[in-house]
Amino acid sequence: MAARGRKPKGRSAFSGLSVIASAVLLFMVALPTFITLTVGLLPSLVAFIFDRSPGRMMARCVFGLNFSGVAPYILELWQDGAQTVGGATQQIFQPLALSIMYGAAGLGWLLYLAMPPIVANVLNLSAQRRVAELRKNQRGLIKTWGDSLIKEVDRSG
Amino acid sequence: MNIGTMAEQAEDQKQDVSNDAGQKPEMDKPGGGAPVDETADAKANREEEISTGGKNLEIGNFRVFTDLRLPEFDMGHCKAYAADNLRRSEGNAFALVTDPVLPTRYDLIKFLSGVHMAGQIDLLDSAIAHWPIFGRKTMVLFFEKPKGGHVIVSSGKQRSINEQDIAASVVEPLMNVLQALGEKGLTHRAVRATNLFFGDPEGGKVILGDCASGPPGYDQPLVYETTARMAADPAGRGVGTLSDDLYALGMTLAELAIGRRPLANMTDQEIMDIKLSKGSFQAIASQEKLPLIMIEPVRGLLCDDPEERWGFAELHAWLDGRRTKPVQGNTEKRAARSQNISGKDYYTVRALAQGVAKNWVNALTPLRDGTVEIWLRRGLGDNDRAKAMADAMRQLQWAGADKRSAEEVLVARSILILDPSGPVRYKGFSAMVDGFGNMLSYDVQHGSGPQRFSDVIVRDIPAFWFGRQEGYSPEVQRLQSAYKNLRYYIQQKSAGYGYERCLYSMVRNQHCLSPMIEQEYVVDIAQLLPALEKAAENVSDDAWPVDRHIAAFIATRLEDDVEGQLMAMQNPSDEVEYSRAIISMLAVVQWRHGPDNLQNLSHWVARLMEPAVKVFHSKARRERVETEIPKLAKRGNLVELYNLINDEQERRKDQSEFVEAVAEYSEAESEVFDLESSGPARLEMAEKVGQQAAAFASTMIALLTVSALFLMHIF
Repeated sequence: MAARGRKPKGRSAFSGLSVIASAVLLFMVALPTFITLTVGLLPSLVAFIFDRSPGRMMARCVFGLNFSGVAPYILELWQDGAQTVGGATQQIFQPLALSIMYGAAGLGWLLYLAMPPIVANVLNLSAQRRVAELRKNQRGLIKTWGDSLIKEVDRSG
Repeated sequence: MNIGTMAEQAEDQKQDVSNDAGQKPEMDKPGGGAPVDETADAKANREEEISTGGKNLEIGNFRVFTDLRLPEFDMGHCKAYAADNLRRSEGNAFALVTDPVLPTRYDLIKFLSGVHMAGQIDLLDSAIAHWPIFGRKTMVLFFEKPKGGHVIVSSGKQRSINEQDIAASVVEPLMNVLQALGEKGLTHRAVRATNLFFGDPEGGKVILGDCASGPPGYDQPLVYETTARMAADPAGRGVGTLSDDLYALGMTLAELAIGRRPLANMTDQEIMDIKLSKGSFQAIASQEKLPLIMIEPVRGLLCDDPEERWGFAELHAWLDGRRTKPVQGNTEKRAARSQNISGKDYYTVRALAQGVAKNWVNALTPLRDGTVEIWLRRGLGDNDRAKAMADAMRQLQWAGADKRSAEEVLVARSILILDPSGPVRYKGFSAMVDGFGNMLSYDVQHGSGPQRFSDVIVRDIPAFWFGRQEGYSPEVQRLQSAYKNLRYYIQQKSAGYGYERCLYSMVRNQHCLSPMIEQEYVVDIAQLLPALEKAAENVSDDAWPVDRHIAAFIATRLEDDVEGQLMAMQNPSDEVEYSRAIISMLAVVQWRHGPDNLQNLSHWVARLMEPAVKVFHSKARRERVETEIPKLAKRGNLVELYNLINDEQERRKDQSEFVEAVAEYSEAESEVFDLESSGPARLEMAEKVGQQAAAFASTMIALLTVSALFLMHIF
């Protein structure tokens, strides 16, 4: 158990280090992309920091859609030949761009909130349908075998 | 012997039972057939008015005139009535009506019916018929009228037979009968002067009267019984052996020779005392004047030692005028000093045994303190008996909590040590081992109940009797193996066993004593269902057609094994198995013996089939059976009714389907329980799954978006 407990912690530290290393590398090689990503993925960053649940599902949800919102702007930045910090800053502080990036992150969070009740409802409905089906079968058995069936079931415990 | 008092003795354990008060014989009602003094009976009959009215009834091949008594042909406790043989014009028949509460002798009726045997009255036929005087059915025996009438006429006097003629007129025909019966392993047990008839009007050869209408030896005056058997109650005197018949022949010769019954002026107790103290022959010879010519055969036949007693060889020798070996008059060893029990002195072991039996409670002290043992050792010089007595006393010391019972067993065993060839005596019960069946029958039908018999068997007294028998005897072996069954039957408490089973297994001609059909006098298994059919007309709704008596009767009389059904009847609370077992038993009887149509009984059984229908679990099957039952009941066939509920294939199918249904129901129930009780767990799972699904969806959207952007960029 101790070994198992240590393993995710080590991996988590490793992935944290690799993210920082990637960020440093990106900062040194492609600063405009780094700025766009850092500002655009700010909600995901916050989510990763605050989501301490196993598997960090909320952070993943937020990151997935947040990244979908950021990705077009990264691509747009890369298509611009200059790739300057100013261009990146100008692009990223447009209200529409920020709205799309953060809105997408918000959608990810909403998806995270909405999904469990939906699944619960589906499971409940399925269980109710199964119970109804079983009860119907039992009624059929009683109709065929009479009270002796119940007595026998009671007797056999 | 006063039977009523004997019964009271068993219950109250009172002392000194008088045996002098003779029971008044009367056969105008069932149970009136007490062992009778025939002379007195004949006197009573003389006074009866003989009607010549026209009341008659047809029984088999005979027409019996119920109001035309023939007292001159009364035999033993049974009364004779005029009868016509409807099949044969020649010959004169009469009917002898047996007492319905006394069992008849099956083996003798079977052997003698329709057979002419020189020296024996011709038994033409027997039938079970309703006898209006009794208001119930009983067995009626039809005899050919002897041409010469009774040898002892109703006044108690004897029609003269010349002493010189006794050999040819009496001994030869009687020997012939006893020999013929002996060859078949049968005994007559009713050889007495009052049961002799002249075979012809001239008073030539005599013939013996009936011997089958009651228990063996039942009608014999006490003086006719051997010293071994005379202490038994009349109903329990037992089948006996040829030797007992020869003894009775000796007494018959003595009565014919002296012209009246020997020792007639003595009470039964006095007769027993004198026979035990002097020996049978000396007892007669000392009181009566025997003609010289008769002394030798009477002495030989009345020898108290059965080994020494005359047999056919000695009788033939005597008839031929040859001398025979002399026999000892009294072989009983007499003690130098007496043993006192309740103020009376006893000098012989047999007399002492009888004294102990008569003084049941007071006899315990001298037995327990070793007085009797010392008397045996010093007074009689019988060390074997003394040792046996000491062993019996030692066993008393090992007795557990039930001290009283152990003391009673000690008294009973002591009696058997003192008189090993005598009857088993236990608290008023007194019967030979081969007379247990008839004794039980008598007790049950005369109000004493089966308790005395049950006590004897439960206390294992007969086992001690078997242990005291010397030498090998096939008869004793046969009785011993039968006794083992009796103990098993008595120990089982359920229907089909108990004293009822003992009764029917020991007495072949015992009619079924079930209150439902007792009046019908059911002796054969084939009569059972017709009797139940009749009973079914007035039966209450909740009564079962098989009670303890009927179950035991079927178990004994039916050729098929019904132990399975009896096992199922052990638990009446299991209505299904109980009713199935009863229907099964009746169905087997109908299948074996008919009749084919038993409408009333079928309807009765159909009413009781409700629990048996429950053998099917399926409602559809039950409904089908319930619809079929009335239809089959109308046809009166119990076998079809039984088959309806006992279709083995259908039952097995029903059972296996039911088991599957129960399993299916249980599984469903458990799944429903799981589903209904797993709400919080399901929510928890839903949250986890929902989150995972959301994360997955989010990742997929991201991948799709990136892929789409790249593709757009490329194209």
